Amino acid sequence: MVRNVRLSTEELEAIADDLRDNWPTAEAVDFREAVSYHEDLPDEKRFAEVLESADRPLLQPRAGVPRLDDQVELLTHLHEDGGADLLPTTIDSYTRDNEYEKAQEGLEKARETNDDTLNGFPAVNHGVDRCRELIERVDAPIEVRHGTPDARLLAMITFAGGFQSFEGGPVSYNIPYTKRHDLEETIEHWQFVDRLAGLYTEFGVRINREPFGPLTGTLVPPSIAIAVMLVEGLLAAEQGVRSITLGYGQVGNLVQDVAALRALRSLGEEYLPDEVAVTTVFHEWMGGFPPDEARANGVIGLGGATAAVAKPDKVITKSPQEFQGVPTMEANAAGLRTTRQVIDMMREQHISLDGVDEEQQFVERSTRSLMDTIFACGDGDVANGVVEAFATGKLDVPFAPSDSAAGAVLPARDDDGRVRILEFADLALDDDLKEVHTARLDERAETEGRKRSFRMVADDVDAISDGRLIGRPQEGQS
Amino acid sequence: MTETVILGVIGSDAHVVGVTILEQALSAAGFDVKNLGVQTSQEEFVAAARTHDADAVLVSSLYGHAAQDCEGFHERFAEAGLDVPTYIGGNLSVGQDDWSETRTYFENLGFSRVFDSETDPEEAVEALRHDLDIDQTEAETEPARVRT
Repeated sequence: MVRNVRLSTEELEAIADDLRDNWPTAEAVDFREAVSYHEDLPDEKRFAEVLESADRPLLQPRAGVPRLDDQVELLTHLHEDGGADLLPTTIDSYTRDNEYEKAQEGLEKARETNDDTLNGFPAVNHGVDRCRELIERVDAPIEVRHGTPDARLLAMITFAGGFQSFEGGPVSYNIPYTKRHDLEETIEHWQFVDRLAGLYTEFGVRINREPFGPLTGTLVPPSIAIAVMLVEGLLAAEQGVRSITLGYGQVGNLVQDVAALRALRSLGEEYLPDEVAVTTVFHEWMGGFPPDEARANGVIGLGGATAAVAKPDKVITKSPQEFQGVPTMEANAAGLRTTRQVIDMMREQHISLDGVDEEQQFVERSTRSLMDTIFACGDGDVANGVVEAFATGKLDVPFAPSDSAAGAVLPARDDDGRVRILEFADLALDDDLKEVHTARLDERAETEGRKRSFRMVADDVDAISDGRLIGRPQEGQS
Repeated sequence: MTETVILGVIGSDAHVVGVTILEQALSAAGFDVKNLGVQTSQEEFVAAARTHDADAVLVSSLYGHAAQDCEGFHERFAEAGLDVPTYIGGNLSVGQDDWSETRTYFENLGFSRVFDSETDPEEAVEALRHDLDIDQTEAETEPARVRT
């Protein structure tokens, strides 16, 4: 049974030794040498310091291509033409599945054909020295962004390769991403990642860790997302991580998004130990985008406006080409500039929105209810508790593909467009809180003259790409 | 009699939203739905069709590798002695391919019907009722608008 306890240095070293056999580039990892490499990096490449000392929301895109020179060119463009403050390196899908052989084939093919035959940067295959070359050739801090349930080797190589921020966590990179990864095992794998980040921290290299807030990216009720963030923050803190960025994905209702971001920050500071520097990241809309760049810019603009009011420490931007998949670097930079324009026009305005405080209280009460359940499931242990809570469906994520979660909870928007819970299944939320969700959805049902049902869910999933927020029944349809 | 429909996302695709909503729509329309979920292999589709004596098999794919993932799919069904309608839907082409070409490609693989990602679940329900000779007056449904 997995417990939330710190891995010993002996355990850490034993696991690292085993991992060295997984791919030849692991041989080059030398912890002490890597610490001194990090010590020599200039201040503007220290991710945690840049993020934590910022006086306005920093912007960061997503981006990753297979070849090193192309990745340098892409990131340089996003930094210079897009004005990105923080940069990403998105890892390819084969690496996320620990298929380094296939990633190698893809990388070699990319080098031969000049085509992007991988959907990201295969950092394990590139190895320590080439990761360092990337860090050195780009003038901003770079985070590893991926989606890897077992990211131990990726962490070993990219930390040694000079990266100082690493996205993901045992729940957020398992439950929304894959079907067959056992949650307990994934927690053990991330205890290694977090312990390694913690060890670097103890040697003066504060590695920033960022749990992936949007989860399935599809109408996730804020309380569920925030509960997962707190769990992953607590697990990381136990292993010695001292810079943690908690995430949240835009749902599109301005009041609910501002309330949720404030709740995320306040609960993060309350639940995580004092020695952890807690920051927050807001992800622009992660669901389906309009198939029209002009309309997509509207979605991105609303994200910028939300960020200007809520003031998260960081915003992950989208591009107007989101609908069609991976954007061109120009479109990616355009998403950054659109977001910047809106934030910079709005951030000095004092804007107060009716209902934010009430919604924040509701999000906080709901999150506490879920956290109480998680701790109760584990007799006070958050690691064991989260495994048990997911196994019993007491904690659940809408549209979760994982066998480790029930995936039975269904969300829908209320009459105001806020995301509520339509189907609770076994979700262990206090009854008085459940009643609020149900009452709000009844209001919508009455407005629309139809029953509360999965049809609202189906309509809501497509609403934003169809040009609306709430999936109302349309004229001409009975 | 309740018709049994097997549902799943083929290959290593993890797009779960469409299949979840389709499951809800088919269940509401009175079908007995066995949703195999995401990342379902060809073998798992065949095994489930045999175990549950399925009346139809619906395959979803959204990540662009449907052509590779479905290679040999119908040969496996034939080997297992199963002859049921098979549908496929989602983002089936890679890049800017013409839809009619894409549809023909998957029809030639052996799929009885091919749907794009803009399809209402109700269309799949109607198609199943037609292909399985189900009396349409039995069930009452309201159309749902969603991409599968």
